[in-house]
Amino acid sequence: MSKLGRVVEAVENYNRFVLDEVRRARTETKFGQQLLERWNRIKANTPIGRAPTGLPLPRLALPEIDEPGEIARYLLGDGLPGEFPYLNGAYREMYLEPLREEGSYGNEQEKNGHGKNGHSKNGKKGVAKLAETEEPTRLFSGMGLAEDTNERFHYLGAHQRSKRLSTAFDGLTLYGIDSDAPGVFGKIGEGGVAVDTVEDMERLYAGFDMGAPSFSASMTISGPAPIIMAMYIAAAKRRFGPSVVPKLRGTIQADIFKEVQAQNETIFPVEASLRFLADMMEYTTREMPRWYPVSISGYHIGEAGATPVQQAAYTLSNGFAYAEMMAARGIHVDQFGPRLSFFLDCGLDVEYIALARVSRRIWAIGMRDAFGAGTKAQMFKLHTQTSGRSLVAAEFKNNLTRTAAELMLAYMNGSNSCHSNSADEPFTTPSEEWIRLSAHGQAILLDESGIFKHTMNMLSGSPGMKAVERAVEAAILEEFRQIEELGGVVAAIEHRYQRSQIQNAAHRYEEQIYDGTRSIIGLNKYRNANEKPPKVELVRTPRAKKQIQVDRLKQFKKRNAAKAAKALDRLAAVAETDENCFPALLEAAEVCSLGQISGRLQEVVGRFRPMV
Amino acid sequence: MAAPIRILTAVPICDGHDSAINTINLEFIRHGIEVVYLGYHRYAEDIVRAAIQEDVRAIGISSYNGGHVEFFAEVVRLLKKQGADDIQVFGGGGGTITHEDQKVMERRGVDKIFFAGTPLSEMVEFVHDRYGKAKRGKKAPTAEMKLARKLTEIEDAYAKGKKKRPTPNAKRLTSNRKQGSGKNNRKRVIGFTGPGGAGKTTLIDELVLRLLHREPKTRIAILSHDPSVVGEGALLGDRATMINSQDERVFMRSMATRGQAGGLSPATEDCLRLLAESPFDYVIIETVGTGQEAMPFRSKLIDETVLVMNPDYGARLQLQKIVMLDLADIVVVNKSDQDRARTAALEIKRRLEQNKRPQKLISTVAKRHRDRGVDKLCDLLTEKK
Repeated sequence: MSKLGRVVEAVENYNRFVLDEVRRARTETKFGQQLLERWNRIKANTPIGRAPTGLPLPRLALPEIDEPGEIARYLLGDGLPGEFPYLNGAYREMYLEPLREEGSYGNEQEKNGHGKNGHSKNGKKGVAKLAETEEPTRLFSGMGLAEDTNERFHYLGAHQRSKRLSTAFDGLTLYGIDSDAPGVFGKIGEGGVAVDTVEDMERLYAGFDMGAPSFSASMTISGPAPIIMAMYIAAAKRRFGPSVVPKLRGTIQADIFKEVQAQNETIFPVEASLRFLADMMEYTTREMPRWYPVSISGYHIGEAGATPVQQAAYTLSNGFAYAEMMAARGIHVDQFGPRLSFFLDCGLDVEYIALARVSRRIWAIGMRDAFGAGTKAQMFKLHTQTSGRSLVAAEFKNNLTRTAAELMLAYMNGSNSCHSNSADEPFTTPSEEWIRLSAHGQAILLDESGIFKHTMNMLSGSPGMKAVERAVEAAILEEFRQIEELGGVVAAIEHRYQRSQIQNAAHRYEEQIYDGTRSIIGLNKYRNANEKPPKVELVRTPRAKKQIQVDRLKQFKKRNAAKAAKALDRLAAVAETDENCFPALLEAAEVCSLGQISGRLQEVVGRFRPMV
Repeated sequence: MAAPIRILTAVPICDGHDSAINTINLEFIRHGIEVVYLGYHRYAEDIVRAAIQEDVRAIGISSYNGGHVEFFAEVVRLLKKQGADDIQVFGGGGGTITHEDQKVMERRGVDKIFFAGTPLSEMVEFVHDRYGKAKRGKKAPTAEMKLARKLTEIEDAYAKGKKKRPTPNAKRLTSNRKQGSGKNNRKRVIGFTGPGGAGKTTLIDELVLRLLHREPKTRIAILSHDPSVVGEGALLGDRATMINSQDERVFMRSMATRGQAGGLSPATEDCLRLLAESPFDYVIIETVGTGQEAMPFRSKLIDETVLVMNPDYGARLQLQKIVMLDLADIVVVNKSDQDRARTAALEIKRRLEQNKRPQKLISTVAKRHRDRGVDKLCDLLTEKK
């Protein structure tokens, strides 16, 4: 049995354990009494805050139960926010605004609401609080050349306390191809930023303090991720010296499994990709304790057409497979486990009411009981993006509403961070107008509205949500069993299992749109027959800019030719052995281009053979 | 009956968005169209070469990652340059291709752009209406194009019932190719068969990689088969995984079985003969995944038959029933990194010993880069006789 089989067992056992405890709470007076006491203590210790209108509200809302069996079911089956099995949240307070002054609610200051002057009155304490709470808003961007994206980063981050940059790369970079390669000129800087060298990487994050606690970079790239990671480190070292390395914070996607299953941006054969990934993870786990070296992603699985259950099931099983891989390298689960993070899609299907909640619970139980992980490695830390696939070109302004609804669902699920799509994305990389609206959508939901900032569990645990949770969990476990039957995640990939399931789901989705089972407003329902093609501002990279990228890459190669040849030879030599090649990659990243490195490694390990 | 329409579909270079094209492919083949699917992340050059060799009526491109104006135009330009502008180009990219783009693209010779929200049925109808009849322009300007068109004629003659496949017992013509089609008599016609999932396609592609590398002037032809959906179209997807075979020196043709059992098409024998008579150093033919009783190759045209097996064939008794084990010249146990592989190789070895003729047995892991087993297979197939 692979670890996935043990995860299924663990969840089943845990569910039985909860039922047994419920029964015990009802039959054993002493145990029941203990639970009641704990319950009352939790309630008594919950601080009360006030909405701007003066309405008092507990910072944590709890179900109105006073029967020991039900209390056991809640505390063990769901868990308080921040407690195992984390159904209600990975942390206790999530999006709550900081308590101003404990016990002082209702005074003069409160009546003014939470105005701008609120922070200064609290002096140091308030400031410290604010520094800890970073905004969960992340906006993914990447366009044109590194300096263009850098400008966008500064624009987006201007009003944020913390600088959390999320980077989209162009197709060439995602496939490890240089901008000066033949037949690819038109693709330079389209759909993301063009990065060929360490110098581009420096330009990309220029003006940001890469080692500061308030800075983090997220890089959405998987196929050549270890090479890009090495370039990022090299760029940071050039600007801030070697001492910056342990301070680097951020995430690199590096999720090979989902690439092979759905997104198709893989450049090395699966085994070699996994080896380079593990080499990198070993390095970052040791040298960069604040870095997340893999973001286990369901987003692209969802976007490729998977159902929400398939998305969660494949993502979680991929996560368990990475954990198994690292454990096999002899690294303890509590070392790498806390550095795993997740990324899910959030669309409008009903499953999304609870998809992340259930995922968090399964991950926690699986990691604790099948992998022996401690608290920090049990937490499913989640980034969510609203569904790009749900956006349509017809009457595209409706996409604002779609994204708003999805955002609501994502925060109801306790996502740790979120990206909201722009309404113009069916046509183009977002323009400033629409990206601004999408960012403001998050601020309106979290900051302007009172939905999430006063009370945890504001929308958790309704009977409907419970019903969805049960059904979704059962369906995910059933998917796990299928994968287990094929021999685990890697074997299932070789059988094309996940790919074919996703493709079938995608086809069914399209059929449902055309037969009307699925309503898409403005497309197959309430269609405006007179609609004219919308006027949208297109973000495209002009030829002249593309040429700049080609020219400076050529110069870089010329300048570094001798050093590059040596570094590549050394890298290839290490890649031939079983040694960790990340150190050699770090050296190569200083003087070689992305395409030079990926090309040389492909000579050693081969190219990825696409699956249809 | 009219022959099915053949088109080629692909996703441009640096673009992995294949969800739309997968759905569209499926819809096409359900409506009688044969789709040669080249896969995602494909260069314009590879698309054009494949379209010419496959002699398709049109190329459908699905692009979601930008740069479409340039990419589509490049495909059209290359087709023209080759004198293959009777092959039309159409495509789409959801909302990413705007109406302004469409105008530019159509001016540059793209036949049709579909916008977001187009029903699948509309695309199917379009292909049937627009590409239902071959538009042959001038005479084929290159030898490659001539060969491609000739293969289409053979295939279509069978489809229209003008030709019938001889019954298996009928006497076969012997080929004249050994009398010297070229400078030496090294030409080999190699047949690959075996159950589905054994890794035939990967193995052939790895073999091609080695042949191209070892012999800088070698030219190779590949005839690959995929099953037709009952009475309808077919998804011909081998090119998508055969990355090394998309090369100037390789001529590849994908054929649908068009209702014939046994892993080959009614037109296979004639097409194979044509290829064997053309100036290639190696002609490789691959069957559809076959069952135990199948023995697809009886053709005298084939010099060497390679049976590719998966170690996971079940119980030892099953081996007795596999007819091809008696007929194959070389038996390959692929995926020999699997647990059962050693046992499988031993069992097959004993089974082959019963035949009392010089059959070779090789273990390979075709998916592994530079696999020694595949090297050995390549040695065997290139040995001078």
